[in-house]
Amino acid sequence: MTDHDLEEFEAADFINRTHKPVPRSYGDALVAAAHEDPRIVCLTADLATPTETDIFRDTFPERYHNVGIAEANMIGLAGGMARTGEIPFVHTFCAFATRRCFDQITMQAAYPNLPVKIIGFLPGVATLLGVSHQAIEDVAMMRTVPNMLVLDPSGPEYHASAVDMARAHDGPVYLRLKRPETPPEHGIIPKSLTAGKGIVAHDGQDITIVAAGLSVGHALVAVGELAREGIAAGVIDMPFIKPIDADLICNAAGRTGALVTAENHSVIGGLGSAVAEILADAGIGLPFRRVGLADRYAEGGSTAYLFRKYHLDSTAIAAACRDVVARKKG
Amino acid sequence: MKRNLCELEEIATRLRLRVLEMVAATGQGYVQQGLGAADIFTALYFAEARHRPEDPSWPDRDRVFLTTAHNTAIFYAALAECGYFDIKKLETYVQDGSTLEINSSERMGPFVEATCGSLGQGLSVAVGTSAAVRRQGRLTRCYVIMGDGEMQEGQVWEALMSAAAWGLDNLCVILDFNEMQCEGHMDRVMTLRPVCEKLEGFGFATHDIDGNDLGVLLNTFDAARETRGRPTFIKARTLVGKGVKALEGLMAHQLMFPPELAEKAMAEIRGTVA
Repeated sequence: MTDHDLEEFEAADFINRTHKPVPRSYGDALVAAAHEDPRIVCLTADLATPTETDIFRDTFPERYHNVGIAEANMIGLAGGMARTGEIPFVHTFCAFATRRCFDQITMQAAYPNLPVKIIGFLPGVATLLGVSHQAIEDVAMMRTVPNMLVLDPSGPEYHASAVDMARAHDGPVYLRLKRPETPPEHGIIPKSLTAGKGIVAHDGQDITIVAAGLSVGHALVAVGELAREGIAAGVIDMPFIKPIDADLICNAAGRTGALVTAENHSVIGGLGSAVAEILADAGIGLPFRRVGLADRYAEGGSTAYLFRKYHLDSTAIAAACRDVVARKKG
Repeated sequence: MKRNLCELEEIATRLRLRVLEMVAATGQGYVQQGLGAADIFTALYFAEARHRPEDPSWPDRDRVFLTTAHNTAIFYAALAECGYFDIKKLETYVQDGSTLEINSSERMGPFVEATCGSLGQGLSVAVGTSAAVRRQGRLTRCYVIMGDGEMQEGQVWEALMSAAAWGLDNLCVILDFNEMQCEGHMDRVMTLRPVCEKLEGFGFATHDIDGNDLGVLLNTFDAARETRGRPTFIKARTLVGKGVKALEGLMAHQLMFPPELAEKAMAEIRGTVA
């Protein structure tokens, strides 16, 4: 590439960035963390802007590595860096960050229990880019990996806190992030997570919806629908899929006697499975349903369209709640 | 750690004998591969690499990554000979409960720089380490002993590309070119030829040498250390079974080592020691 080409490329990159209206909560948080902690280094597999790491690239060029389109290598590189006292944050889309390099994650991050922080974007079906880019099994895979912390925050207001949680965990982390598609109406007011704890997003005594990621917003909309029918649904936002807040789940199950899970992921192996395991281990039997992608592939489309079509949205969650509440009464 | 060639030859012979003893005990383990690579391990651990067996976590140590993690008989023999652990411990090789597993795991200690049994991954870790120690201003060098069959893994080429792109002159890749993989001769499975030309194209300084010649190995390591701005790739041609006539060139990846053959082999090696 000539210097001239390079200048044009940089100019185009600048235009892209200045026209991007969404706030970059994650990218800013990572840079803030890196100011505090010189051990933090940043790797990306040719996806700086979509993973908001262009800010890091421009702030700490000597601690930034674009490794090219080579995710398996990226995990190994991060393993080497982590063995040498650095805290590597690696970035790509969720599908590539997990499916494509599961063995590398296992052997070069998890088995040695190294502080390799795997940051994935485009969780679940939420992308136009189609099946190749849709991570519908990433949570299931990462949940099976010993030493791994799995985080699926519900919105950008938790991104900064999620970065803190990732740093604080002395081992590998999988952080599943969704960038807002439009700028939040009132900006982003950061909120804090507590390690290993779920968040009671709404109280309700008839049924509890345990949700994660994008599904939390849909669950809260479902609460409104159900309220009009006289069903008081509570919502637990469960950012920590692993380790999961078992006490909160069991208490909610005991209090409301009915439970629905909601996730932007396959119904197999993700949040719904994790909750079911907790309930079964605790010997709690109750009307229960999992809302998620029904063991099938989706296709590219707008997030709203896909959530509706594949029964992940508030309507689907409300329907599952009605069914479960009816079973409780019956 | 520099020793003269005669001393190094003696060490290599001793290591070969240990390989035979370790594998003979159960018939399990990689014997011809160990014999073939004995000179590479000798040159690295007893002359080239800066390391402190009494302080295995020394941050400035040179790193030796064994990515062909199954070639452990020679690896453990070299480590024990260096003093990382008691020679007696070699008797537990491949025994239940022993940390001397057939595929090396870092649970043994920090001298296993990464757990590499899944082929194709170790070079990436070495490249990441090389980049990190360079940024930290350490004099550390990273040596990677790789298998030729392993280069069929795509990730290896990702790692080679990044090492060259980043100009990591503290990285030295030693390809144990024994031409043998599970299914026999490498050229019959998936040839790698011409490997040095490929690596030249990637931007490495390359050397095509006799990997069973200690003097040549040492000179090549000298050249690698003096190379600036690019990593080094050494195609070290090794002979499987080197030192034992009945095993030389025997293309059997997993040889069930019969006791009578083991006895003859040990007698042959002992003969060269005396």
